[in-house]
Amino acid sequence: MNTKTMKWLLQREFWEYKGSMFWAPLIVAGLLVLLMGGGLLYGLGQHFPSRLTIDGHTLESGGHTVRVAIDLQHKIARVASSAYLGAAAPLFALMAVVIFSYCLGTLHDERRDRSILFWKSLPVSDGMTVLSKAATAMIVAPLITIVLATVSSLLLLFVLCLAVSLNGVHMFGIVLASPDLYLSPLRLLALLPVYVVWALPTVGWLMLVSSWARSKPILWAVGVPLIGLLVVKWATFAMDNLAGEPSNLMHYASGAAARILTGVVPGIWYSFTGAPAALRPSDDGFDPGSLLTSSYGTLATADAWIGFAIGAAMLYAAMRLRRYRDEG
Amino acid sequence: MSSVISARGLTKRYGKRIAVDGIDFEIPAGRIVGLIGPNGSGKTTTLKAALGLVPFEGHLEVLGFDPRTQRDDLMQDVCFIADVAILPRWLRVKDAVDFVEGVHPRFNRERAERYIANTKLEPGMKVRQMSKGMIVQLHLALVMAIDARLLVLDEPTLGLDIIYRKQFYQNLLEDYFDEQKTIVITTHQVEEVEHILTDLMFIRDGRIVLAASMEEVGERYIEVMVSQDKVSAANALQPIDRRTVFGKSVMLFDSAGGVSRQQLAALGETRNPSVADLFVATMKGTYA
Repeated sequence: MNTKTMKWLLQREFWEYKGSMFWAPLIVAGLLVLLMGGGLLYGLGQHFPSRLTIDGHTLESGGHTVRVAIDLQHKIARVASSAYLGAAAPLFALMAVVIFSYCLGTLHDERRDRSILFWKSLPVSDGMTVLSKAATAMIVAPLITIVLATVSSLLLLFVLCLAVSLNGVHMFGIVLASPDLYLSPLRLLALLPVYVVWALPTVGWLMLVSSWARSKPILWAVGVPLIGLLVVKWATFAMDNLAGEPSNLMHYASGAAARILTGVVPGIWYSFTGAPAALRPSDDGFDPGSLLTSSYGTLATADAWIGFAIGAAMLYAAMRLRRYRDEG
Repeated sequence: MSSVISARGLTKRYGKRIAVDGIDFEIPAGRIVGLIGPNGSGKTTTLKAALGLVPFEGHLEVLGFDPRTQRDDLMQDVCFIADVAILPRWLRVKDAVDFVEGVHPRFNRERAERYIANTKLEPGMKVRQMSKGMIVQLHLALVMAIDARLLVLDEPTLGLDIIYRKQFYQNLLEDYFDEQKTIVITTHQVEEVEHILTDLMFIRDGRIVLAASMEEVGERYIEVMVSQDKVSAANALQPIDRRTVFGKSVMLFDSAGGVSRQQLAALGETRNPSVADLFVATMKGTYA
């Protein structure tokens, strides 16, 4: 594997999809900071409640000074510093959409505009090209999102601290001293391998359709699983009535369809394996560390790796198609 | 190694239609070969097979590699412009140069920049802002800066104006070509390339109907401006083509058919035919 070539292939993908990979999340991040931050400042600055009840503790505001019990102050700060990345949730939703459309388009676009013959005139193998596209989808795009999410959430956290400090509640010190503040972005990074494992079936399927479909890859990508589901539904309906024995086929089929269509949504692994306790709100806000361990826990299932293997096989098939397809 | 491209029984079928029909040919190193044929004759398919872009039957070796199984090795030494290839619309001139420099070990950046400086292309310009001719200029600048052992040009100058076309072929001959390199060109503008070709290959209906060096062609084919009184005598020698220019009969003879140069000189003024005339005569069906 030639790392220099790979670096240029990734650069090439970034040039081509700069709009959806970089500018779109940047604009959304900017809007988040502007709207949510502005809302926080305005809301907390103008309308800080004179009586605020949090978790059974009642805050009394005397003039503009609020005396908050120290342990409560700590609690707010802990929740803020552990959950602040949640503010960037729209960025992760956008990322899922961007990766989906990228995978569906990337091998199709180069055939449609015939630039594939230019790329193939250079000493770059099909395997490396397809790999660079998969890496763009599963590593580069998430990394960009993680960076933008961290920066925008930190800005929002800063705005929140600023807004409450104007009202006499000083959280800066506690927030800055909280290890979660620094660990949260690292936890996101640490989740990337889990993301790759669960995203690969979807990325593989979409890129396979992208390299195979003559036109309208979206119809094939969504239509084939849906029609497949309908067929299975009909078959199981008939079987149940004739054999009188309910079958599990539909269960597996809908699971497979979900895996090849929704795998690029971050955190979707919980829906494939059942949500862990950590995601439910607890007394202490929520424990982000357990999010990491429970996510890695999903990799202990056979489902995760069966999907991974099938995803890798579809990616390989996409590469073979690109290699031998006659582009007229 | 003697041959750059060596084909034996090269066949390509599209369903029932045979695009390339078991052809044999050899292209030695240090040649500039014109592969010439009408549309749909199989010339592009032949080149695609040689470049590992389509599967095929038969034996084909390019620079000692099998294009079907060793394409990645082959592409280290081969470069091409496919007739329908287009640069992607989002590509900027400077990014294109950076990218090719990054992935191609034989790319000469200064040379590409020199060619680009001769055009109206700007470093920040995107392909979508360029005219058809400018896109071709960028593509040629990139390809000409690659020191490939085999360069395949399938209709490389489509969309270029005549001044740039002439300049391109001149650069190709003076700057690019040397005895270690081999160039295969297909084009409809035969008259523009015939003076740089060393070899000629005519292809028709998936078969090669003529493969010879330009010297051999010059010796073998003779065009005669036949004097009015000798037309019937000339016709008796079975010319492969005849046409009338300003009332004079111009006949094309194949000396492989048994007529000698002396015989023909007696009929009128003799000269070497142009490749275009030879091509038209060959494709007529009177000679195959």
